[in-house]
Amino acid sequence: MAGTVIAQGITIEGELTSDDDVLIQGTLRGKLVTKESVSIENGATVEADIAASSLSVGGQIRGNVTAKDRVDLMPGARLIGDVKASRLTIADGASFKGNVDMDV
Amino acid sequence: MADVTVVGSGIFLRGSIQGDGDLEIRGRVEGDIGVAGEVTIADGALVKADISGRRITVRGAVAGNLTGEEAVRLEGGARVVGDLRAAAIGIAEGALLRGNVQTEKPASQKAAARSGARAERPAPARAETRKAANNGAARRGAAAEERAAPPPPVVPALKKGARAALRKRAR
Repeated sequence: MAGTVIAQGITIEGELTSDDDVLIQGTLRGKLVTKESVSIENGATVEADIAASSLSVGGQIRGNVTAKDRVDLMPGARLIGDVKASRLTIADGASFKGNVDMDV
Repeated sequence: MADVTVVGSGIFLRGSIQGDGDLEIRGRVEGDIGVAGEVTIADGALVKADISGRRITVRGAVAGNLTGEEAVRLEGGARVVGDLRAAAIGIAEGALLRGNVQTEKPASQKAAARSGARAERPAPARAETRKAANNGAARRGAAAEERAAPPPPVVPALKKGARAALRKRAR
């Protein structure tokens, strides 16, 4: 189980700094920084800049995303913002608007 | 899992947590917490926030006021600096508290609060601080009643000569 869960129905506003995994099913506004992975599930809403080792998105994000390792946009994901990662996958059915920087 | 929100032990959160689920905090939170469900402050957690919820259980450290719709429980090992307010309050042996305690439903009448508060006051607070805090609580209660009442007159009731003094100061 992920170290931190933001469940459905909960809204967190502010700055979240973490050493372990974060699972978001609810709403987050502000900023999220973690050394581990972030997973944003279908139905979640995130309005925040995110920095993580890896990120998997099934919900909605508005904000810039930086991942040391990888970013995966699942079907149904919606991302508005820039992505900086060494690997990026965009599944069929995901929507994405923004710039990509994969340090080529 | 799913339903309960967990702020893990490696987390530092500065901001507010709102919503209608249960909440468990094992890490550090600074800001404001208000949820409709149960709030658990786990052992090792460090919270600097006013907390409101249906039931609040504390095993860690909290600096802030705790307001429970139903209950506030301080378990052994809890360290709380702040006021407790709930219909039912439990303080277990080994819990440390500095602050005012009031057994009262947050929205209920003052009379009920007075009898409830007299019946049970387990806070090891010093007499003077308790008195001062009580005054504060009474004032807060009065303020809450004022808010519930119909809107106050448009012209504020100022003491005689106060208006002239204000005008003078403005100049």
